[in-house]
Amino acid sequence: MKQKIIIVSSVLLLLAALFFIGRDFFYEKNKNKENQYEYDLSNLKETDSSQICYREVSRILPESDNLYAIATDNKDRIYIAGNEKILVYESNGNLLETIELKEDASAIKISPDAKIYLAMNDHVEVLDSMGVLQDSWDSPNDKAIFTSIDASETDVFVADAGNKIVYHYNTQGELMNEIGRKDSLKGIPGFIIPSPFFDLAIGRDDELWVVNSGRHAFEAYDFTGSLISSWERTSMSIEGFSGCCNPTHMAILSNGSFVTSEKGLERVKIHLPSGDYDCLVAGPESFDEGTKGIDLAVDSKDRIILLDPYNGNVRIYEKL
Amino acid sequence: MSKKITFILIFVFFTISFVQASPVQRFPKPEFEYGHQQPPTIAPDARSQFMEYLDVFVLLVSLSLISWFILKKRSRWGALGMSVFSIVYFGFIKEGCVCSVGSVQNIALALFNPGYKIPITVIAFFVIPLLFTLFFGRTFCAGICPLGAIQDIIAFRPLKLKSWLQTVLGIIPYLYLGFALLYAATATDFIICRYDPFIGIYRFDAKFSMFVLGATFLLVGVFVARPYCRFFCPYGVLLNLVSRISWKHMTITPTTCIQCKLCENSCPFGAINEPTLDKKKEDRQIAVRRFIILSFILPLLILAGGWVGSQFHENLASVHPRVQLAEELMTFNESSELEPSLELTTYKSLGKSEEDLYVEAASIIREFHVGAWILGGFIGLVFGLSLAGLSINKHRIDYEPDRGSCLSCARCMDYCPMPEEEKPHRLLFAGFRKPVRFK
Repeated sequence: MKQKIIIVSSVLLLLAALFFIGRDFFYEKNKNKENQYEYDLSNLKETDSSQICYREVSRILPESDNLYAIATDNKDRIYIAGNEKILVYESNGNLLETIELKEDASAIKISPDAKIYLAMNDHVEVLDSMGVLQDSWDSPNDKAIFTSIDASETDVFVADAGNKIVYHYNTQGELMNEIGRKDSLKGIPGFIIPSPFFDLAIGRDDELWVVNSGRHAFEAYDFTGSLISSWERTSMSIEGFSGCCNPTHMAILSNGSFVTSEKGLERVKIHLPSGDYDCLVAGPESFDEGTKGIDLAVDSKDRIILLDPYNGNVRIYEKL
Repeated sequence: MSKKITFILIFVFFTISFVQASPVQRFPKPEFEYGHQQPPTIAPDARSQFMEYLDVFVLLVSLSLISWFILKKRSRWGALGMSVFSIVYFGFIKEGCVCSVGSVQNIALALFNPGYKIPITVIAFFVIPLLFTLFFGRTFCAGICPLGAIQDIIAFRPLKLKSWLQTVLGIIPYLYLGFALLYAATATDFIICRYDPFIGIYRFDAKFSMFVLGATFLLVGVFVARPYCRFFCPYGVLLNLVSRISWKHMTITPTTCIQCKLCENSCPFGAINEPTLDKKKEDRQIAVRRFIILSFILPLLILAGGWVGSQFHENLASVHPRVQLAEELMTFNESSELEPSLELTTYKSLGKSEEDLYVEAASIIREFHVGAWILGGFIGLVFGLSLAGLSINKHRIDYEPDRGSCLSCARCMDYCPMPEEEKPHRLLFAGFRKPVRFK
């Protein structure tokens, strides 16, 4: 009897297997039409609230169809590059003045001596504090795409994503040096810039930090072009950077930490001077999907000012 | 001696050099740190050509060895050892692909689609086991097929099935083969591979439902020995037919059957035919009449099967990707609320016209009309021959393995008390044997 039950059960199981195969093949196989190979980033876009160390305190809505770049001066005024103009705001968000330009500026920097340096795609324009054009420097190379600019009282650095090089000018516009060209003898790996995001900033010890986004790396050079330090963090998790080329923008806090912004996984976070992840400023939920080019600036109080080009606003964050 | 050593060293050197020089996967599957789960695929990663040839070589050596173990050494342990080897090499290392069982489909696809260039190694995996079966019986099934081997080692409590039940369930592999050939020949799908229950186990990678299917077969296999081989395996159909005319085949007794009946219940697959000596010899007139009736019934069954099959050709064709795409396009055009699938979006992005797709789908459905006639006819033939097999008396004087269904596992040999002629000492121990019978 027991044997009969086992045999009957076994045969029923076999028939069930046959039924499953037939049903799956004729009715279920192609029911699931979504792309099962699609890489789903949704779980990586979830933000752990305990990681957040900044909060948004105010928001500026500049009157410009497009927003390209942002900077602060030593009086914490906020400069925003829009369509053929620069909008200047007080630190509380009140509009001070508008400086008209002949074309769009892709990057902006206010030097300690209050000069306004503008990267204009393939040349540099220098304005005085009143917004009057003082000088204009052409790119030393063809196919230039200027994406970032920073200046001290004596030196100006321009990132050229088209030629994957950094130009070092003096304040008279003379080209002093080209920084970052691949040189295995000097240990310089060369910049890998797959997309038109290539940022740089002068650090607190007068070193030049350049984002080598294709390597998910930060590289520090002295003003002669020697590589003095670097760090890289490749990771799908929040501790690093992922995709072809991240971060897209960065700014440096007074303690030497880096504020970074990314595309793909749209987020703004802080890395310590060592490169280790510190905390999150704004997670992916703070941006529209597909947002690229979140430019960053930091003022004297270490407030973080970010420019959201997709929503056309500027947000000011303070430390919690 | 030194010459031999030199030769071996040179051989090893060239082999290692060749392996190192053979192509490797330049772009392996990306490994994400977390989050993304790679969906399981039907085919494993491609192997280098050298490894494919090595697989064929291993298949040849393994088949030679197991045939020697079974036919010459009459060793069940040898067959079992080869089963373990097969599970490790053809199963886990080779991840069960290419296997001879699935190669049937490659052959069908190559025969009906000149554009498909079938690899020589796949042909080898299809032909070599058939050739060995033609010479030595189903030694491939005994312990080289990884699908059979994994079931063979878990057949702990095999129960004997009624012969009518075996016959009825035994029709399934023919149907499975028919469907597999139809869908392979029409380039629709490789259903044997898609529903291979053990691949997920060998690759540690399958949909949950396939793991359940594999576990079901293994669970059933504890009590009903080798259920997949006996009641599902389409390649087994071909081996069954070839084995019936094999040049040599394993025998239960090494010398003469003494009708001791010790082996009667030894086969967990019910593949031992009993003697028919005591049966009354059939009247010649009845036999002739039956032959005439069968001669009429068989073509009728084939025709009826073909006609019934042809009535379902559209249903059969509905799983073809192109036909499905055409159907989806038709539905999509009728209702603007539907979201187009990835396939439809891709097709539209290619710039081909909708008419082209409909024409292509219609052509495929016509192919299925012919295919369904053949499939139905084949099923009718199988039923007819099964009927004929049941009604024909076979004359046997000894306990013999059924040449078609015997899997040459060599279990029954240990039950025979007769000694091998060249080993008379075994006779001394014959009387002390205490075989365990299957209930």
